[in-house]
Amino acid sequence: MTAVVQQVGTTVARVRTGWRTKAKPGQLLTHLSLLILVLIWTAPTAGLLISSFRSKDQLAVSGWWTALAVAVTQEGTRLPTADSSIAETGLFVIRGRLPGTDMGTKIRSYGLNARDLTAAAPGESLSMQDGGSITVEADGSFEWSADRPFTHTRGPRLFYVVERSPRFTIDNYIEVLTTSGLGRSFINSFAVTIPATFIPILVAAFAAYALAWMRFPFRNLIVVTVIGLLVVPLQMSLIPLLSLYNDIAHAFGAADGKTYLGVWLAHTAFGLPLAIYLLRNYMLGLPREIMEAARIDGASHFQIFTKIVLPLSFPALASFLIFQFLWVWNDLLVAMVFLGNQETKLVLTGKLASLLGTRGNNWEVLTAGAFVTIVVPLTVFFALQRYFVRGLLAGSVK
Amino acid sequence: MLRLSLLAAVSLMSGPCLGAEWPDLSGQTITIAGPYIGPDEEHFRAVLAPFAEATGAVVDYAGSQQFSQQIVIDTSSGSAPNVAIFPLPGLAATLAGEGKLAPLGDETETWLRDNYAAGQSWVDLGSYEGPDHVRRLYGFTYKTDLKSLVWYVPDEFADAGYAVPETFEDLQALTEKIVADGGTPWCIGIGSGAATGWPATDWVEDLLLRLESPDVYDQWVSHKIPFNDPRIVAAIELFGWFAKDNAKVAGGTNAVGTTDFSLSPQGLFTVPPQCYLHHQASFISSFFPENVVLGEDADFFYFPSYAGKELGKPVLGAGTLFAITNDSPGARALIDYLKTPQAHEIWMALGGFLTPHKGASLDAYPNDTLREQGQILLNATTFRFDGSDLMPGAVGAGSFWTGMVDFASGRSAEEVATSIEESWKALP
Repeated sequence: MTAVVQQVGTTVARVRTGWRTKAKPGQLLTHLSLLILVLIWTAPTAGLLISSFRSKDQLAVSGWWTALAVAVTQEGTRLPTADSSIAETGLFVIRGRLPGTDMGTKIRSYGLNARDLTAAAPGESLSMQDGGSITVEADGSFEWSADRPFTHTRGPRLFYVVERSPRFTIDNYIEVLTTSGLGRSFINSFAVTIPATFIPILVAAFAAYALAWMRFPFRNLIVVTVIGLLVVPLQMSLIPLLSLYNDIAHAFGAADGKTYLGVWLAHTAFGLPLAIYLLRNYMLGLPREIMEAARIDGASHFQIFTKIVLPLSFPALASFLIFQFLWVWNDLLVAMVFLGNQETKLVLTGKLASLLGTRGNNWEVLTAGAFVTIVVPLTVFFALQRYFVRGLLAGSVK
Repeated sequence: MLRLSLLAAVSLMSGPCLGAEWPDLSGQTITIAGPYIGPDEEHFRAVLAPFAEATGAVVDYAGSQQFSQQIVIDTSSGSAPNVAIFPLPGLAATLAGEGKLAPLGDETETWLRDNYAAGQSWVDLGSYEGPDHVRRLYGFTYKTDLKSLVWYVPDEFADAGYAVPETFEDLQALTEKIVADGGTPWCIGIGSGAATGWPATDWVEDLLLRLESPDVYDQWVSHKIPFNDPRIVAAIELFGWFAKDNAKVAGGTNAVGTTDFSLSPQGLFTVPPQCYLHHQASFISSFFPENVVLGEDADFFYFPSYAGKELGKPVLGAGTLFAITNDSPGARALIDYLKTPQAHEIWMALGGFLTPHKGASLDAYPNDTLREQGQILLNATTFRFDGSDLMPGAVGAGSFWTGMVDFASGRSAEEVATSIEESWKALP
């Protein structure tokens, strides 16, 4: 960071002396603000990633940004009861180790009252109410010895200040990955997502070509209607659409209308306006001369579409594919409404939500769950990302 | 592992217990939708297993976090499950009024009155006006939560020399004594995402039941007296006595609105303790740190009532209601199954479940903490339900919540109560 600041400083100095160098301050400023923006954008994801490797108790007491610091915490534990004492040459001893202490931890001090944590340093002894005296070593092992047998049935409490090097755990991931039915919900998610991505692309490509290059009445009106449909919130159509599905299902004697076909069609319908709009604008930008040449050579509309327009539109198709795939993969609402929550049909997002517990008490698994679900969209994104930017700019730069 | 083997043991044990009097439902499917997910869902499936075995029916349970939204969509578009489990009576009442629920019948009503402790109040909770404006029983309460509890750490009490308060006066004196000793008495956190504010509504309801008679409570909940009635305002102000004093709340008053309810009890277990007392329902123990042993490291006492007022020992609670959304013989049989002690004992043994069923054995509870809570439920003289659940959704799950957030962040009780009253009056 200081290097960057210095560089900015020297650049500014050079600028003042009259544009002698090629480095432009504007460019540097752009890079600097880009760097800051990237940092801001990645911070939540980084925080989530770090949190996913922390235990529930750690998450409850401190933020992810403290994960790498040496943590000094004040903790308490209950010592064992008389049952675990052993007799040793005239002495009765209880030995053990304070919970959560190992090679990487160091006891700073300890005490027998939560308000007096510095009563003794490691190695020093404290006399106990239940008889005898206790010594805690810096590594967390303790020895409680007395000359009379122990009788207590309820372990006394011991409090200590412990210094702990950073700790990480993969328990959250283990919990998510070993959930029963996770594999099935992965397959369910694929069964919903793949058709629900390709059907709208197929339909939209045909429609977009027709709206861009074929001449028929009311063409512009249709385009405007499609664009208008973009603003319809899908929540509005949930109940009417499900009623329609149920009516159709009942007419054919089925119990209810919650099927995979229903989800595919719903996602197709919700995805089409954007798909048609995006692809039409892209196709409109293709050079007219190619199309005219093909017409003169006697090609039909279908041939022009499959041989010329479709290959040329690949960036736009790919970028919409990413859009639709991400949206369907991450969707919970549409799948819940049109497919249901039965264990056999539960999609991945639904499965993760159910891991939370009725009152959301297992929320630590969400952090790990987020990274488990993100794997598939990330794969799709990186496979197609070189088309993504080109496709996004499609239609907008004319 | 232990839980798994327990599950297996329980289902084995109770499987053959169901007699032969169950109807033969083989080939039929009973669909159930409810809010139980995660461990609750596992436990509920254990409850359903012997029923499925005895009747031969396929029981298809689907749990969802967004149950409340989904049941509205499903009932209005004709794909309702046979049985729906409502976490909020208000929603069940709305659907009953639209004719989407099937009445459970007089027999079930009598059964509830006779077999549930404080039976009449359970009947009242599940009775709503149907589309023909006649009140009938639609909801069967199964799985309850106890709200009038104060959680504390017995060792900290012993170390500091505090005694469990028996009366409300004692509780207030204890609060002041802890402050005088330099400690912080309460941990209060009302954050809960979109539902932020609900823990404070429980406080106000619990306090109102201690200040006024149950009649006032009923009138308040049914809007026969306005929300800004001086008696209600007094209850809100009493909550302010605890929550709006920087010395009495861990982190100060500002922390009340910003602390999540699930993290709030952590303060009891820090070293040194950030607070000594935490008012919350029975379910909160599942949010305690993992190494806390209930009954040893943490315990609860009944949120005491005023010695100076002759109001008995009021108990505030909540529960989930089973209702038939798509009538079938299987749905009826399932409701009948819920009347058997087995259906209660299976879940009692698995934990996280309380029941007012007088026929279910208290021995089934896995630990003393739950057993004592179950005992409180069975012994309740005055039992009242979470008022915010009974009010119309726009108030009970809307302006009441946000009003309490406003109150915690500085507005006066009077102002807040008046604005909630206005939102209630504005309802059609």
